[in-house]
Amino acid sequence: MKTPLEIFDVKSFLGEISEASTKFVKGAELFAGIDEIDVGTAPKELVYEEDKLKLYHYKPEGAVTCGVPVLIVYALVNRQYMLDIQPDRSMVRNLLQHGMDVYIVDWGYPTKADMYLGLDDYINGYMDNCVDHIRKSAGVEQVNLMGICQGGTFCGMYAALYPKKVKNLVTLVAPFDFSTNDGLLFAWAKHMNIDALVDAYRVVPGDFMNSGFLRLMPFTLNIRKYVDMLDVIEDREKLLNFLRMEKWIFDSPGQAGECLRQFIKDCYQGNKLVKGEMKIGDRVVNLKNITMPLLNIYASGDHLVPPAATKPLNDLVGSTDKSLYEFKGGHIGVFVGAKSQKELAPAISKWLHDRDKSKPAAKAAKAAKAKAPKAKVGKGRKQ
Amino acid sequence: MSGTQDYFNAWLKAQQEAFGSVGEMTRKFQQNLSGFGSTGGAMPGFGGAMPGFGGAMPGFGGTMPGFGGAMPGFGGAMPGFGGFQDAYAAWEKSVSDALRGSGAADANFIRETLLKSFSGSNAYMKLYELWLPLFKAIQQKGASPDSFKDLIDPAKFKEMIDRVFGFNPDAAAQLAEQVKTLLESCAHSSQGFMKPWMEASEKGFRTVPQMMEGHPESFMKVFHTMFGAFDSTVGRVFHAPAVGKDREKVELLLRSLDVLSVYLAKNTEFEHTMYVTGLAAFEQLIAAVADKVNKGEEFKDFGEFFNLYITVNEKAYSVLFQTEGYAKMQGALLEAALNVRTHTFKLTELYLYDLPIALRSEMDDLYKTVHELKKKVKGLEKRLVEVRA
Repeated sequence: MKTPLEIFDVKSFLGEISEASTKFVKGAELFAGIDEIDVGTAPKELVYEEDKLKLYHYKPEGAVTCGVPVLIVYALVNRQYMLDIQPDRSMVRNLLQHGMDVYIVDWGYPTKADMYLGLDDYINGYMDNCVDHIRKSAGVEQVNLMGICQGGTFCGMYAALYPKKVKNLVTLVAPFDFSTNDGLLFAWAKHMNIDALVDAYRVVPGDFMNSGFLRLMPFTLNIRKYVDMLDVIEDREKLLNFLRMEKWIFDSPGQAGECLRQFIKDCYQGNKLVKGEMKIGDRVVNLKNITMPLLNIYASGDHLVPPAATKPLNDLVGSTDKSLYEFKGGHIGVFVGAKSQKELAPAISKWLHDRDKSKPAAKAAKAAKAKAPKAKVGKGRKQ
Repeated sequence: MSGTQDYFNAWLKAQQEAFGSVGEMTRKFQQNLSGFGSTGGAMPGFGGAMPGFGGAMPGFGGTMPGFGGAMPGFGGAMPGFGGFQDAYAAWEKSVSDALRGSGAADANFIRETLLKSFSGSNAYMKLYELWLPLFKAIQQKGASPDSFKDLIDPAKFKEMIDRVFGFNPDAAAQLAEQVKTLLESCAHSSQGFMKPWMEASEKGFRTVPQMMEGHPESFMKVFHTMFGAFDSTVGRVFHAPAVGKDREKVELLLRSLDVLSVYLAKNTEFEHTMYVTGLAAFEQLIAAVADKVNKGEEFKDFGEFFNLYITVNEKAYSVLFQTEGYAKMQGALLEAALNVRTHTFKLTELYLYDLPIALRSEMDDLYKTVHELKKKVKGLEKRLVEVRA
């Protein structure tokens, strides 16, 4: 009978150790040569800011062929540059190349001074101000809203409260029906004392949120990922890609306590959006008020926001023109996967173009530039 | 001092009179006893000389001749106990009257004291009166040999006792009811105090097996339950009207230790669950490797083994994480940890209270005010733009 050690091909095993050591040394040299991990490199201009929020307008890449600008709203928990993580994996660049006029919200990093910011401030305040700014500066009555993850939920809330300001609604992996327990976050959040959390932290640290995300797949996300890194450690570009993702994952802003409190209580624990009981400020959010065209994109392998939480939106809205799009992949893959770049961004662009009945885009964009107010910001800043 | 002397003179005089009365009463008592036993016959065992009680008693200021003499039997009428009572009453009256009549200015305090003492003695007389019927009953019965037979017969004994004490089933039931009510009343009033301790003790006892098995969190649980009992009973004294920051610190410190104990218990429970899951996963991994060995197979490279390691472990924890029990345990652990954090902040604030620095809660208030003001201003600005448009 063989001893346990004999289950390995010892010669091969020693060769692997030698190879890994060599990779590690070379990788260390590469690491030492990397000064900065560049993310969000698509040219953009700061056009509006309020408190810690910033609204950026991307420089068009070629002719703008869709007359209605797109406002991208990302989640509060991570940074919006995920949509432009690197030049060859950039949904923003992809949309720009497809003739879209793109704006993006940067929620910033809340501090203790922002602990009392609630959903009312985010939806009725910041989001509405951004939309108004775009409407005014672009010279349009309506904007296209494209919300991702929690940002998609925000867009749904906004569209229900201000349907006249939204031309089309695009949601990507955005949760609406929180009754499901398919995703661990959904199951765990139901047993979380959010009051205790907010009272203890005021602004809940991003590290706290990350610890929860990393626990979803502890061995894959905490061990395998770093062992697999050895496979790319010798290649500067691949290593940079890896590091960009790492930077994004751990670049997690804190969560304004009151906003998180209401989001967890009303959505994860109360499922009030679906029940039509959710109140933002003094107004009830009725998803039936969403009557504009809807493109709802979900990822079949999403472990963060399971399809069971995203798909029901199409049955809850009042829209007649609504599409459900299945992306075969995971949550992160929707934004950065190679498949996403090839498949998803063009599909979104096409869907929006199909519903664009405005004037020729280039003309509209020109008009928008001419009318763009400089209020609040003073002057645009290149980023 | 003269007043005091008068008082003692009066006191001695009263004593003489009183004992004179006692002597007289004793004499009457003896006479009565001589004729005692009219209901029964002779009782030779009780008869006989009783010498030695006679003689001088100089310390009381007089002779007491009356206790000597023959006591041939218990036959005859029995006014004796009443006579003794009268003697006591006469003694008390004499002393009291003498003291009242002494007119000693300095004796007021002593007089009052003695009067109160006499009043206290009255209590003994009352007690004596209370038992008097029993004594009489015993005398009446005791004089007859048949009565002793009756006492041997349980039924008769009961009948006699019932007669003596006036007991009957109804009275007994009534008495039992009264006792029960009293006990219930006492129990009710003490229940609020004792119940938490009893429950905590019970919980503590239940934790003993865990302690014996070596679960470290069990100690924390015992501490927590006992603190709970303390908090709802004795600890309430801390909730009395504020007496300053020191009292608050002590209370908060105790409470902080309690929440820490809860956290430690939850954390141990959590870690135990994670450990057990990991152990089970490791056993599966070893079993899978052993299976390979048994089949004569080998891992081609590290990656193959690593894949197996990750897959087996991830699956084991995934199964655990999807249970509601885990979600609840994790939620409870988080809450316990946050509770510790909150208490730490509160305690820190209390200790920093006297320093000229802005405290967390004060900054919270400030942030709230700023937030509300900003919101108002923004709202007004928006309205202004709308009006202008």
